[in-house]
Amino acid sequence: MSLMNDAPRGGRSGRLLLAAYAVLVVLFLILPILVVVPLSASSDAYLRFPPGGWGLRWYQAAFNEPRWWRATWNSVLIGAPVAAISAVVGTCAALAIARSRAGWTRPAAVLVTAPMMLPHVILAIGLYPIVVDLRLTGTFWAPILGHSVVGIPLVFVAVSAALRNYDFQLELAAMTLGANQWRAFSKVTLPMIAPSAVTGAVLAFATSFDELMLSLFLTGPRTETLPRLIWDQLAYALTPTVAAIATLVLALSLAILVLVFVLHRFAAASEPSTSGSQP
Amino acid sequence: MRGAALEFRDVAKSYGELSVLQPTSLHIEPGEFFALLGPSGSGKSTLLGTVAGFVPLSSGSIVLDGQAINSRPPHKRNIGMVFQNYSLFPFRTVAQNVAFPLEMRGASKQEAQAKVEAMLAMVQLGHLGDRLPKQLSGGQQQRVALARAAVYDPPLLLMDEPLGALDKKLREGMQDEIKAFHRKVGSTVLYVTHDQEEAAAMADRMAIMNRGRLEQVGTPRELYDEPRNAFVANFLGEANLFRLRDGASSGALVETQSGLSLKTGHVAAHPGPCFACVRPENIQLSEGSAASDNSFSGGIEDAVHLAGVVKYRIRLNPNCSVIVRAASERGARLHDLGETVSVTWKAKDTLIIPE
Repeated sequence: MSLMNDAPRGGRSGRLLLAAYAVLVVLFLILPILVVVPLSASSDAYLRFPPGGWGLRWYQAAFNEPRWWRATWNSVLIGAPVAAISAVVGTCAALAIARSRAGWTRPAAVLVTAPMMLPHVILAIGLYPIVVDLRLTGTFWAPILGHSVVGIPLVFVAVSAALRNYDFQLELAAMTLGANQWRAFSKVTLPMIAPSAVTGAVLAFATSFDELMLSLFLTGPRTETLPRLIWDQLAYALTPTVAAIATLVLALSLAILVLVFVLHRFAAASEPSTSGSQP
Repeated sequence: MRGAALEFRDVAKSYGELSVLQPTSLHIEPGEFFALLGPSGSGKSTLLGTVAGFVPLSSGSIVLDGQAINSRPPHKRNIGMVFQNYSLFPFRTVAQNVAFPLEMRGASKQEAQAKVEAMLAMVQLGHLGDRLPKQLSGGQQQRVALARAAVYDPPLLLMDEPLGALDKKLREGMQDEIKAFHRKVGSTVLYVTHDQEEAAAMADRMAIMNRGRLEQVGTPRELYDEPRNAFVANFLGEANLFRLRDGASSGALVETQSGLSLKTGHVAAHPGPCFACVRPENIQLSEGSAASDNSFSGGIEDAVHLAGVVKYRIRLNPNCSVIVRAASERGARLHDLGETVSVTWKAKDTLIIPE
């Protein structure tokens, strides 16, 4: 590390250039935020950037419109079960694959994570006829099951990472000490992977809360989610209400981001010791 | 608690066609410190696993304190186990680790606390109860593992290469500590290692394992002095092994395939190929000619100065060389490479053993 720090670097101009580049990249990444937040505080009657005047009238309008409230509540009603289902199923899948020494574990891991790579529109096309067959159209189960398909891999990946260095011999040790199989798992393995499982579940909730494509196919008027309502509103009424809602969703996403970060620190703190051979 | 007797009755394990443990019978005395010694893959850890309950038996039974335990699940065997990598629970403090088996047994908080404190004091870690395992050194972690495995007074302690992860200096210190610990807790100990010096230094008795069976059982000294076969002679300490010519032994004189005639104190008839075995420290080395039961001369091919001893390799003829261990005296001259010396040993030190 110190070698790296002492290594010769480019001159002053080179460093300035690098700094400018870094600023540009960060600007590019947060530009949508820099646009949408001012838009939401516009006093204009339609979406225009930059806004002609300032005010919170569109927030007021959003709060006064029951449809936004209902859509938000729908998103929570869908996101919470998605997080729970993803946490349980994703954790079990990660455990099964981490424990097994069989040859099928690698292909199985690829299959479990496949929904992360697949375009949502393709998942939606596949899921829609299934939902129709199961007579679930218009129910909450349709988006819950659909979103779980993308939520489970998130938990799976997080828990698998936590299990990569996990030594299942700890469970054997617990058993010799008098713990039956369930207690060996719940008292030893579960506390070690819980932070990762919760992180994955929070991400699954956030993904469900943001998801549009599957929701377009799988929700009906009674179950429409927040992103779907935003989409519909954008299609025919370009009022800054949408920007206000977007800003609120942004604030929620940031809160979730902070939560994930904190959980991550917690997970790192419970990593197993690797200092076995130090004198 | 006093230690309990442990008995293996025709214990065998195979995975399909592959037999990893031949039918094995062994009796371990109450309170005994018994070592299972063998190379990796010899079945010693499998045998230990059958006692812990991780390895279901294919046949036979394991009897602890008069009761067959082989059909019980691991958590109902009341056996303590110490693992090579300690297997401490990383998110629990030292004291919480030691309290774990008491929690599982439904001990009250006060009872558990008193026992944990007493146990930590015994392994001199009373002041570190609030630390997490990763904040301790390897030796300290091993002591926590010992305390955790013994806090509920199990009549039997299993140890699977418990010192394998420590460096040599620390390992020797921990050997003494584990011995002292054993004397204090009084449990029977079944100790697995591949390190023959460790086994010899610690065990009351030991078994040498090879290819899934016990080659020989006895005190370290018996095994060293009277190895039953070439594998044991080679595995425990160092041995000069001379393959004998088939059927060429007449009385106290045997012929080796490499053309030596050796005098031996004990001729035993073994079927199959036999070896003459001479321990390197039983061979005397001198500059002039010397008389003894066995006397040869040869050139020094190699000399290695180890701590306290010099190890020479001396070529007796083109097909045969011997290893000699000579005490290294301070300031004494080492023999030069190529120098011709005579090597002698007594007839009683030539053992005849089967392969």
